[in-house]
Amino acid sequence: MSSLEKRLAAEKRFKFYGMFAMTLSLFFVLILMYKIFSTGSGAFVRTTINADVYFDPNFIEVSSNSSKKEIMKASYVDLADQVINQNHPGLDEENFIKVREMYTRKFDFQLRDYIANNPNVIGKTVNLDISASSDLDQIVKGNYPRNVPEAQRKINDYQLSILDSLDSKGKMSKTFNFWFFTNGDSRDPETAGILGALMGSFYALLICFSFAFPIGLLASVYLEEFVKPGKITDIIEVNINNLAAVPSIVYGLLGLGMLIGVFGMPYQVPLVGGLVLGFMTLPTIIIASRASLRGVPPSIREGALAVGATKMQTVFHHVIPLSLPGTLTGTIIGMAQALGETAPLLMIGMVAFVMEIPGGAFDPATGLPSQIYLWSESAERGFLEKTSAGIMLLLSFLIIMNTVAVLVRRNLEVKW
Amino acid sequence: MVDQNSNYALQTSEVYVHYGKKMAINNVALNFPKNEVTSLIGPSGCGKSTFLRCLNRMNDVIDICNVKGKFLLNGNVDIYSPDIQVETLREKVGMVFQKPNPFPKTIYENVAYGPKIHGIASSQNELDEIVKDSLHRAGLYEEVKDRMDDIATGLSGGQQQRLCIARAIAIRPEIILMDEPCSALDPIATAKIEDLINELKENYTIIIVTHSMSQASRVSSKTAFFHLGNLVEYGETGKIFTKPDKEQTNDYITGRFG
Repeated sequence: MSSLEKRLAAEKRFKFYGMFAMTLSLFFVLILMYKIFSTGSGAFVRTTINADVYFDPNFIEVSSNSSKKEIMKASYVDLADQVINQNHPGLDEENFIKVREMYTRKFDFQLRDYIANNPNVIGKTVNLDISASSDLDQIVKGNYPRNVPEAQRKINDYQLSILDSLDSKGKMSKTFNFWFFTNGDSRDPETAGILGALMGSFYALLICFSFAFPIGLLASVYLEEFVKPGKITDIIEVNINNLAAVPSIVYGLLGLGMLIGVFGMPYQVPLVGGLVLGFMTLPTIIIASRASLRGVPPSIREGALAVGATKMQTVFHHVIPLSLPGTLTGTIIGMAQALGETAPLLMIGMVAFVMEIPGGAFDPATGLPSQIYLWSESAERGFLEKTSAGIMLLLSFLIIMNTVAVLVRRNLEVKW
Repeated sequence: MVDQNSNYALQTSEVYVHYGKKMAINNVALNFPKNEVTSLIGPSGCGKSTFLRCLNRMNDVIDICNVKGKFLLNGNVDIYSPDIQVETLREKVGMVFQKPNPFPKTIYENVAYGPKIHGIASSQNELDEIVKDSLHRAGLYEEVKDRMDDIATGLSGGQQQRLCIARAIAIRPEIILMDEPCSALDPIATAKIEDLINELKENYTIIIVTHSMSQASRVSSKTAFFHLGNLVEYGETGKIFTKPDKEQTNDYITGRFG
């Protein structure tokens, strides 16, 4: 074989290796996506049981004249039981419990919310879709097998027969599970939602941005434009680069030890989470911002200085505006990374069970990744699809943020 | 060397410049007559640009650059004195660079920037007038009057350089330093700039660094020849290009080196 043929053959082989590597990684990504989507899509659909609900005043503590606050405070457990008795007449106590288990445990809350929105309904009969319990939901979705011995099933034979009779009457249906987007966490998979975690992550990222962006920007401007290079700046430079590579759990420990331990900040709040994520993002922002400041040609600085601008005017009127797209790109990518970080949240306690949707950075909360972690730890089958749905949501936010970063870079960056 | 004759816009003597330990300018003394064009010529690395940048203290931003010497503006202002604010000096001594460097902002903002930061204009109308007048003097107004809000980096190279000249004269300097202003331009744009220099010398003292000897002979009345950090010869442009005193100068202008 001639030398040229050998070289050409080597090139062909190299091309093949490259294509093979790419196909392989695409294949794995596809498997991952398929797994997540096939498991997670169920979380967006909820099984409901159609029932005639008579809002019997005898079982309701409040009247249609009561304030919303009173309505929200009252108990509707008896009303829920009454509705079940009406729709499944002639149940003995044992079978009543079995039927009650087919409906969501939060039946009474669903009734409460309905009354709160329509106070005039008291004394009337309304046809409502009541959420099924998660176990029934999983049977209907086919995630639990039916043809196994009763002892291995969460739904017993009696419940299955009721289910089939309801189904034949056309009372079973599926509805879009908006609860997933509007509820906080719950012990019951059918009512568990992601909004609490979403708001937790939102407040944490807000704190993270307002803390890390100005400090990162000013630090990089000072290092790049004002300070004279020397030993000290070299040491700082090396340390910033090192900090960017420090594992995130170490920042979690820092938050636990310093913010919570020394400064006495509260546990499991987005404020602390955001600050910790801010520490973590700071080096990324500084590095990106310095690179983008260095990208501004010296001729612009000279042009401004030559018309008599001060150093500060030169930097703030010309250099920073020109470097901002690069800085923002770095910041968004850093924030996307922060959004996905779980370890620091675990360290500062943003991984507890929180039902309420946080109203600010000082309320106890979880974050998206820690919520996913929490759900993945739960034994119930219903949380499995929530876990995957949570991952889908997290991934979509990451994709959106990274797309924004690319768009910022592409559209705002000044070309020379 | 330094006399109190105020026919000179700028007088320099005993100028030494070092980059770290490397000497860039070695004991240069040069005076620049008012409202005349002086060319600084010489081979690459001879120190002519370094010398030019001393005149509005642009070398201040280079940490390792060390400038010594006497620089008198209008016969009485020592520009390196600690009492002198470098910003005020640059208001009086403007500069145009080798590569056109307009700010990536609108044409209007480019010219208005200097007057704005120095508070030269007291009203928006006055600022508009200054911008218009500066663009006029730079011979650019007719070409850009309908697109003052366009981004300046969209102009052609020659237009950009004239915009930079407009930017420099908008703050009404006494002296304009030009560092090879035509080296990045085509011959037509170069001719326009040279015409402009001839017009501008009515009102300004111009010091121009150039690689082109023909350009030096076309635009300047005085020429200084630098070599290896030394001022070899200084005199009337006509004389330098026809009957130089020094053999070195003769070798350079006849193309024997450089």
